[in-house]
Amino acid sequence: MKKQKKKEKKPSSKPCRFCMDKIQIDYKNDTLLRRFVTDRGKITPRRITGTCARHQRQLAHAIKRARSVALLPFVKVYYR
Amino acid sequence: MRAYECVYILDPALEEIAVKEKTDRTREIITSRGGAVHKVDAWGKRRLACPISKRTEGMYTLLKFSGDNAILAELNRVFRFDDAVLRHLIVVDDNPLPPATAPAAADS
Repeated sequence: MKKQKKKEKKPSSKPCRFCMDKIQIDYKNDTLLRRFVTDRGKITPRRITGTCARHQRQLAHAIKRARSVALLPFVKVYYR
Repeated sequence: MRAYECVYILDPALEEIAVKEKTDRTREIITSRGGAVHKVDAWGKRRLACPISKRTEGMYTLLKFSGDNAILAELNRVFRFDDAVLRHLIVVDDNPLPPATAPAAADS
């Protein structure tokens, strides 16, 4: 039983959204970046979002830039 | 010459005239040092993702320009000593405006 359960767990390969749609990653586009950040403000790992390595790098860079100009929060939701 | 992009956040309490004055001053800093301003885009008042010096809103302005690094030093210095500027960020422009449209934007 246990073995069968393990077999069912296949790594589902999601396509990288930026490769598919050819979206330019920009630190000013905070609505887009917000999708790749948890509600605590952390960057979502690429095993969850399915972003490819190259775009994840660009994404992380953009998120960090966006944080420094207060377009994205650093740690958590400050208001609400 | 290199294309740069600058985002700065002004105090939301500033009046429109003061904001205009600031953009004129930055424009002057760039042009007097042999640079060119390609685009000034005022995003207006926006809510900050995190409070900066007890302010929850800010006036965002995007500036696209090209020039030498002497401009950057001066801009950084001016922004840092200006109390009305909450934050600023100057980065190399990843996708600069095509040269055909750049002069037209600078004229207007």
